[in-house]
Amino acid sequence: MDAADDHDVTATAETIRAELRTLRAALTQIEQAVDRLPQRKVKSHRGERHRPERYYRVLVSVYERGGRHGIAVDALGAIGGEHGYDRRGLGGFFAGTRAPLQQVDGRVRLTAEGLRLVDRYLHELAS
Amino acid sequence: MSRGRALVDCAWVAAHLDDPHVVLVEVDERPLVYRLGHIPGSHCLDWHGDLQDPVTRDLPPPAAIERVWRRLGIDAESTVVFYGDNSNWYACFGIWLFRHFGLEDVRLLDGGRQAWLAAQLPLTTEEPPENVAASAPAASALADHRARWEDVAAVSEQGVQLLDVRTPAEYRGDLLTEPGYPQEAAQRPGHIPGALNVPWDVSVGSDGRLLPDDELRAVLAAHGVDVERPAITYCRIGERSAHTWFVLHEILDAPDVRNYDGSWTEWGSMVGMPIELGEPRQGA
Repeated sequence: MDAADDHDVTATAETIRAELRTLRAALTQIEQAVDRLPQRKVKSHRGERHRPERYYRVLVSVYERGGRHGIAVDALGAIGGEHGYDRRGLGGFFAGTRAPLQQVDGRVRLTAEGLRLVDRYLHELAS
Repeated sequence: MSRGRALVDCAWVAAHLDDPHVVLVEVDERPLVYRLGHIPGSHCLDWHGDLQDPVTRDLPPPAAIERVWRRLGIDAESTVVFYGDNSNWYACFGIWLFRHFGLEDVRLLDGGRQAWLAAQLPLTTEEPPENVAASAPAASALADHRARWEDVAAVSEQGVQLLDVRTPAEYRGDLLTEPGYPQEAAQRPGHIPGALNVPWDVSVGSDGRLLPDDELRAVLAAHGVDVERPAITYCRIGERSAHTWFVLHEILDAPDVRNYDGSWTEWGSMVGMPIELGEPRQGA
């Protein structure tokens, strides 16, 4: 590889990095715009974090489409996308001791906490 | 029964949405999901309110079942198709109950809500009017499909296989219930002595549909089940075991299968009943 090739590789990498920065900024703007959209208010219960409706919608979709064995990991990305989540933003659903989602045998399933949140959301919709 | 008679797919249901002889019934573990959207024309039955006696812990009496049938518009010519959430867990209880009360043409939408959603077929939030059937069939409890605790206690003398379809952790006695069902616990953990552990969901594929017949037979044989021998299924409250009853009796045409709907919440709470803990015995 000569000096000219080195220069090309460096320039290409810098171009890709610049495009990734643009994409990340755009994704952040989209996420913020989705958060500003009018949403049904899901009541915060005492001691619980307020979460937007789309958070519960993701859980309900996993429940409905997953059945007994849960959904494929890729399918979660698609569900998240339908509700305005970037794929990278879905990690929070698996984080913490009260995470609503878990991976079991390579598939995504609701935890007992996730089922509780689904029940709460469905009851609020019905009330 | 057989697969061709007991099971329908989404295309069949889509083609019969306007068929006046087809009655669609959704039964969900979480009945409120019906309100998010359901198959056009389908009715919702709440398993808490419609599929059990509201006071006594028992099945509804025949008169209550007849009222449900009239409400759904079921008559002698009807084909009733059940479907639901959670891979048809509770829908199969509805089928078992209707068959127990003598209805013949009762089928399952393979894959339930999950399959309908995956096929991106239409949903509606509009609830159908209550059809009052002019002449609903008479409901009469049959002895063929239901087992009581006395039947279970006698299995070893009668050569009947006892199939515990709960999770291995419930079977071993590590847990009283699956996580998320604290209200359905018995007084003691464990399983009925001599029972095989055949988790109900081994018959369900990742898409929520039942496995093909040859795979069903293979997976059941791998769990020690002889499809030709009489069997009684049980779980915690009789709904998961209704699913396995459906697989054995309605799909694989097993000759003598009964569902013990009292299940572990009855057996594990009664005074003086024998209980085992731990892994199944070799050769059990």
